[in-house]
Amino acid sequence: MPTDQNNGHGNVVVSVNNLTKKFPDPMTGEEFVVLDSISLTVEKGNFASIVGPSGCGKSTLLNIIAGIETHDPSDGGTLDVYSHTDAEQPRVGYVFQNARLLNWLTVEDNMTFALESQKIPKDLWKERVNKYLEMVGLEGQQKNYPLNLSGGMQQRVAIARALAIEPDILLMDEPFSHLDEITARKMRFDLMEILMHSSPTILFITHDLGEAVFLADHIYMMSTKPARIFKHIKVDVPRPRKPEDPQIFDLEKELVKEFFSVLDAQEAEGD
Amino acid sequence: MKSLKFKPGLVPGVATILVSLVLWQVASLFFIPVFLPGPLYLLDLIVEVYSDPESYSVIWKTLVRIFNGLVLSMFIGTGIGILMGIKKHFESFMDSWIMVLLTFPAICWAFLSVLWFGLSEMAPLLTIVLVVFPFVSMNIWEGTKALEKELVDMATVYRADRVMMLRKVLIPQLMPYIFSAMRIALSLSWKIALVGEAFGVSSGIGQKLIYWFEETRVDMMLTWGLSFMVLMVVIEIVVFRLWERHTFAWRHKIAN
Repeated sequence: MPTDQNNGHGNVVVSVNNLTKKFPDPMTGEEFVVLDSISLTVEKGNFASIVGPSGCGKSTLLNIIAGIETHDPSDGGTLDVYSHTDAEQPRVGYVFQNARLLNWLTVEDNMTFALESQKIPKDLWKERVNKYLEMVGLEGQQKNYPLNLSGGMQQRVAIARALAIEPDILLMDEPFSHLDEITARKMRFDLMEILMHSSPTILFITHDLGEAVFLADHIYMMSTKPARIFKHIKVDVPRPRKPEDPQIFDLEKELVKEFFSVLDAQEAEGD
Repeated sequence: MKSLKFKPGLVPGVATILVSLVLWQVASLFFIPVFLPGPLYLLDLIVEVYSDPESYSVIWKTLVRIFNGLVLSMFIGTGIGILMGIKKHFESFMDSWIMVLLTFPAICWAFLSVLWFGLSEMAPLLTIVLVVFPFVSMNIWEGTKALEKELVDMATVYRADRVMMLRKVLIPQLMPYIFSAMRIALSLSWKIALVGEAFGVSSGIGQKLIYWFEETRVDMMLTWGLSFMVLMVVIEIVVFRLWERHTFAWRHKIAN
């Protein structure tokens, strides 16, 4: 992962330029393009969301930004993540589709695992754990074990773990998609609440346009096979937002319509 | 206490043991005790042998050898098993060696160790380690195939260093395999230790067995062999089960 310090990059945290990712096809050995010339910018305090159909390569993009997948610069494109703290490398928090907690450690130890890995001084741990557990509504659960928690609560711990390192960029990969809709809805409201109290920089992936419109300031719409960004919209609705707010609702309707026209056109092109 | 309740399998289990003991006792009536002693006769002998304080130092010597061999085998075996799981070229280098070591007869190691190290403590220790560690490595290697890449990715994103990765992410996932490896290792170690003692250092339980073998005293061989076996079973049940229960407490720990 690039490790540049913030030297004259202003408020930019993530800068992706013409990034292309190819995978060899396991059957034929031929290379196929997963991500095609992706460009996007996330600035400090922004909530950016990438919306696209399932399997379009959104997670691959996030994994490349997180440094757990690589991209070959010879395929074209650059990727930079800039640190806005005095940490040597940019701090990246990641909330995956499933919580990915270490079930043998308590909630508190799961959070300090991330804090220790990030070399955050030990005397800050207790305060961070308490602060962010309270923020996700899990105060008092420090000594509990993940397997005693519901799926929604486990995901809250994962969010608290990511927030606790006070990341330069918080990556979220469809974090509510494995939850039942009622729990997911509650979690979206609570995330909105968190955004109003602290303003983390977030890159959020979803296939749910309603979710993106409700939460994000910037929406990047992505097509599939290969994944291209075909539209960037700014959502200028102040928080707190309500899903039934006509402004939100109309925007969602409009974007859904646009999505289908692009996908249909692509299909027609493919035939 | 929950653990004091009768388990459903307990009654038939105890019944089988009692019936076998009765049959054994009946069969022994047809032979002289030095050829086939009955359980009651053996019990008398065991009481007699263990009223001599010297016997405890015999047992202690063997226990120390088993303990040393077990610990060393676990460390070497686990290290090699993990390396095989995470380093592809080490895996291809080691896997045929593990197979060779697994098939090599334990008795050969016992003799070779004596030839190489003479009648020193190194001989039984080396015998135990060479026989036991390949079984441990096999188990742990198997375990590394079940490691969850998702958790490793998570730890990588948060920049866990090698030590954190090993201690907090990899080893805990391998714990069930480490415990089953340790069970196999214990049951192998004590048997191999006796072989090593019989042919090498001439002390401990193994020496007692070969001594009474040369005197053609089946009753004394069984006295030493059976009493030690019972001790090993007790250690397995008490130490390992409690340790295991403590280690996996997170699976069913309820808040406060």
